[in-house]
Formats: sequence, C-alpha cells, structure tokens
Amino acid sequence: MSEPVLSARALRKSYPSGDGRLEVLRGVDLDIAAGESVSIRGESGSGKSTLLNLLAGLDSPDTGSVSWAGSTDTGAGRRAAFLGMVFQSFYLVPELDALANVLLARRILGRLDPAARTRARDLLARVGLAERAHHLPAHLSGGERQRVALARALMNSPRLILADEPTGNLDEQTGGGVIELLLSLCVSADAALVLVTHNAAHAARTRRSLLLTSGTLGAGRA
Amino acid sequence: MPWYLHLALRQLFPTGRRFPFFTLISTLGVALGVALLIIVMGVMGGFAYEIRHMIVDTEGEVQIVARSPIPDYRALMRKIDSVPGVEAATPYARDAVMLKFGDKAAFPMLRGLDLDSVSRVTQLGEYVRVGSLDDLDDDSIILSAQLAVSIGARVGDTVEVYSPLIINKLAADSVFLPREVRVVGILEIGHQQLDSSTAYGTIRLAQDLYGLGSTVHGLDVRIKPGMNEDDVVARINAVLPDDIRALSWQDSFSEFLWVLNLERNMIFFLLLFIVIVAAFSVTSSLLISVVRKTREIGLLGALGGKPVHVAACFCAQGLFIGVLGSVAGLALGLTALAFRNNVVLWITRVTQHPEVLRRYYQFSELPSHTSGATVALIVALTIVISTLAGLLPAWKAASLKPVEALRSE
Ligand SMILES: Nc1ncnc2c1ncn2[C@@H]1O[C@H](COP(=O)(O)OP(=O)(O)O)[C@@H](O)[C@H]1O
Ligand SMILES: [Mg+2]
Repeated sequence: MSEPVLSARALRKSYPSGDGRLEVLRGVDLDIAAGESVSIRGESGSGKSTLLNLLAGLDSPDTGSVSWAGSTDTGAGRRAAFLGMVFQSFYLVPELDALANVLLARRILGRLDPAARTRARDLLARVGLAERAHHLPAHLSGGERQRVALARALMNSPRLILADEPTGNLDEQTGGGVIELLLSLCVSADAALVLVTHNAAHAARTRRSLLLTSGTLGAGRA
Repeated sequence: MPWYLHLALRQLFPTGRRFPFFTLISTLGVALGVALLIIVMGVMGGFAYEIRHMIVDTEGEVQIVARSPIPDYRALMRKIDSVPGVEAATPYARDAVMLKFGDKAAFPMLRGLDLDSVSRVTQLGEYVRVGSLDDLDDDSIILSAQLAVSIGARVGDTVEVYSPLIINKLAADSVFLPREVRVVGILEIGHQQLDSSTAYGTIRLAQDLYGLGSTVHGLDVRIKPGMNEDDVVARINAVLPDDIRALSWQDSFSEFLWVLNLERNMIFFLLLFIVIVAAFSVTSSLLISVVRKTREIGLLGALGGKPVHVAACFCAQGLFIGVLGSVAGLALGLTALAFRNNVVLWITRVTQHPEVLRRYYQFSELPSHTSGATVALIVALTIVISTLAGLLPAWKAASLKPVEALRSE
C-alpha cells in the first residue's frame, strides 16, 4: 500500500475542566489512504471536532503526532494546498459573493490566475450554482451555502477533505444531497475524505466507518 | 493583490453595497480632521507667505547692515552687484522721525530710498495707491495709508518732519527747525503694521534728517529668481568687510518668523488630535468588527491564512480609511480654501462689520498658501495614524486561535 495521505499516532488531548482535566482523546490512531473515504461517528461531546481539528493542524495534541503524506509539517502554509475543510455552519465570508468565497481559498494560496477563475466557475457549476456565482451568502439557502463551501474546500485540489457534520444545519433531504455531492466530488478529485456525522445512513456511504467512544476510535457497527 | 488586502477592501466595500455605515462614518471623521488641518494650515501659511512677500517686495530678500553708517556705499553696491546670483542692490537710510500735520503728530519710520536703483530691488511703486513714486523728490514724502489717515494728510498737503537729531540740538541749545515736505503719494501694502507707521522719502532727505552726510545705514539686495537665498548671502558675506554683514530676510525677521512658526506648529499639533480622535473611533469600530467576525477569522486560519496576514487584513482597513479620509479631506479643505473669501465676505455681511475686520486684521483679504510639504506631512501623518488605529484590532484578530474562533457561537 502506498503512503497514507493522513496518519495520526497515539493522539491524546485533554482540556482543563473544573479542578481536573477532561480527557477527550485517549490515544487515537488513524491512517487514511489516498482517495479513501472514512466516516467518524460518536455522541455529541465525544471529541469528534477535537479530533478533526488535530488532524487539520488547527490545534496540537498533548501527545502523539499527525502527519500529512508522511510529513509532520501541519502548518498554515501547507494547509492551504493540502486539505480542504467543511463545517456545520458553512462559514462563508458574508462580504464576498459565492465566486469570491470559492476563490478566497486560492487567494490565500497566493496563486490567482485566469485558470483559477475558470476552475472556480466550473466547481460552482459542479455543485449546481453556476447561476448564483455573484450572489452574496445572505441571499443563498443553507443547502446552497454548504455547496459553495464544498466548492471552496475543493478549490485548491486538496488531497484530503475534512468535513465536520456538514449536514448538521440542513434538513434531511438537502443534507442527503450535500453528502452525495461531497462523495462524488471527492471521488472525481481523487481526494480522501474524513466525514464526521451523526447520520448512520450518511456514514454508511463511506468506504470505512469508525466510532469514537471514550476517547478512542473503533470500528463502527454500520 | 494579496488575499488580506482584497478581503480588507471587501469588508470596507462589500459586493453590491454602496458605502456601508462603518466605512462612511470612519472616513468622514478622518476627512473632517484632514480638511480642518488643510484649511487652518493654508490660512496660516497664507499669512506667512504674504508677510514674506511684503518684506521681500519692500526691502528685497537680503539686507546689508553695518555697525556704523557705510561711507563709500557706491563702491560697495558695485561689489555686491558683481556677486553671482545678485540681481541689484539699493542703499537705504532709516530711522524714526516725528511727523506733524496741523495739530496731529505721528512717529513713523522714515526710509530714504535711492530713486535710481530702488525699483530694481523693490516693488514699492506697485503699492503706491495715490500719486506715484516718480513724483518723489528731496522735498516730498510718501505716506503709508494708515499713517496718512491717522494724521489726516492727503496728497498735496505739506507736513512737518522732525529729525531724531532734535534731542542733540536741544541739548546744545541750538535752534531747530522742522523740514517741510509735500505729500506726493499714499502707499498701501496690506499689512496693518507696515501700513500704519512707515514713510518714504529720498535718500538725500533721509541723510539730511539723520545727519549722515553721504553715508547710508545699509543696502537692500534683490537676488536672481531661483537662486538659493542662503547661498547668495554666504557669497555676499565673503566679499564684505568684517563690520558689514549680509542677512537674509529670514535672519532679519528671525524672531518674528520664529513666533509665526511656533504658532503654526502648536496649531498643527492641536488640530492633529482631531485626526487622532477620529482614529480612535476607527479602532473601536474595527474591534467590534473583530468580535463580530470571530468565526470568519477562525475560518481564514482553517483555509491556511497565516495570523500575520489576518492582522494585515485589519491594519489595511485602517490604512484604506486613512487614504480615503485624506483624499476626501484634501478635496474638502482645498475647496473651502478656494471659497474662503466668499465665506468671510458672507460673515462680515451678516454681522455688518466689514471695515472692522480690515482695521484689526493684518490683511485686507484672507490669505492662503498651501505648500506641498505641508499637504504631504498631513496626508502622511493621517495615513500612519489610521494604520496604527488598525493595530490593536489586528493584534486581537491575529491572537485568536482558529479552533477557539470556530467554536465560538
Ligand atoms: N477549548 C475547550 N476547552 C474546554 N473544553 C473543551 C474545549 N473544546 C472542547 N471541549 C470539550 O471537549 C469535549 C469534546 O468536544 P468536541 O470535540 O467539540 O465534541 P464533538 O464534536 O464530538 O461534539 C466536549 O465535552 C467539550 O466541552
Ligand atoms: Mg463537533
């Protein structure tokens, strides 16, 4: 097997809580192969977001290590090119229209050329928002906003997508559509996917299902 | 364009909205401060500029002064004339006299002019409102406007001039008779002080009155346009004997100019506080915006934005407001300066005291002179201050941890 896109070893993370510490992650190991899709389920407060943030390099573990494609450099400079993130609350920049929100990912990478604009428009077309390119987030529905966020996450052709309950703020039907889109986009972009979700049906659509309980990852009972 | 500048611009001018409140109010605050600085500095610069004009027009750019009267001034004139950068020189004799007309007296300075050379150095002729400089001879004088009014003399009247030597003569018990001279002109420069207490006669009249014989008190020198005054002064000094010195008009009026400068600097400093206060409001608005946008700032981190660039995004907003405010303030201030006399006229008309203003003000019109250096200084300081205003919000934004920012609800 080729080198994993993402690899986490013995991740531990605790937060100060009252007098003691709240042990959220107690030794998490995870390997994601190139193009693989994995779902992580777990109760609310079980540490799914904490884990995802560690995998994204947004936070550092107490002990353990995260490496992207074999390298432990998980800094901001590398993040822009290596991975894309999708969140429950979309997090679009309200002052930017849909197209500019997608392009923002590329601007941060620092390479805005005509080809990038073409790609952003293509991605918006892929998520069915070709006609809404110049609409502000405020004028888009929840499902549409999340689809803009999907396009933004894929803008820099990342090798990995981290999605934290992307359907949490959407109704059943819209959410189902977003998951379909997410999975097919990842397949066609050959990007690996880590999908945190509550929804068993959504989890079942990924190649591998994991469950986070008591701070450790185990095989999910799909 | 780097992403943080693009985002800063978009936050000030969101797509599809014309001019959001925050941008409008912040820019307006800065603009008002800049406009006021431009207007006040313009008018104060105008006063200084007019004073310079009056001094140079009536006495040339350089004065030659001596400890004792200069005997062979013609030779000195030729010597100075040949210094590179010198246009012309003219001798003068100057002292206080008593002027009497009817039962009214005044104590002006009387300047003796060499009619052959004075017009090559000064523009006095242009300021003669009634009569003419050409009518001047050894038995006539020209009065400054306020002086003529105060003793009630007009062109054609005969006035008595008493020499300052009267004291010596009185001490020696000798009889002293005043010199009777005709008024042949009224001169108005436009500066209350200069117009209230100066009279002009020929150099021979002055030499007689001051007992100078054929000596003079000094020379006025005009330098060629575009020459550096200090250079020419240095060159003249190099050819002068030790007890005779050349002074630029800045040197001659250094105390006056120093006070003028001090006044300007103080006012500048005080008015700058308006810009600083405006900058504080920019800071507080940006701080609010950082708090409101916490989660988006977290998102920028998740997208791979570096904290220093997130900081730059907020600093840049301060910078843009500074640039915008400077431009708007400059336009506003220069427009106000262009219409300043209409405004003054309107005020005096409403308050119905146009002549009072003239009597107590130094000038008959509100002067204005805006130097490029002053404008550059105002704009540069405004932009620096506005950028500094973004510093605290920027630091706040950069110190937000993406994880915590994203968690905040
Ligand atoms: N910054 C923090 N400080 C203190 N406690 C935290 C912090 N972040 C998360 N937690 C706690 O860690 C636990 C896991 O949180 P989280 O990873 O968000 O769970 P999930 O995403 O599975 O719902 C929760 O009990 C939460 O209260
Ligand atoms: Mg969560």
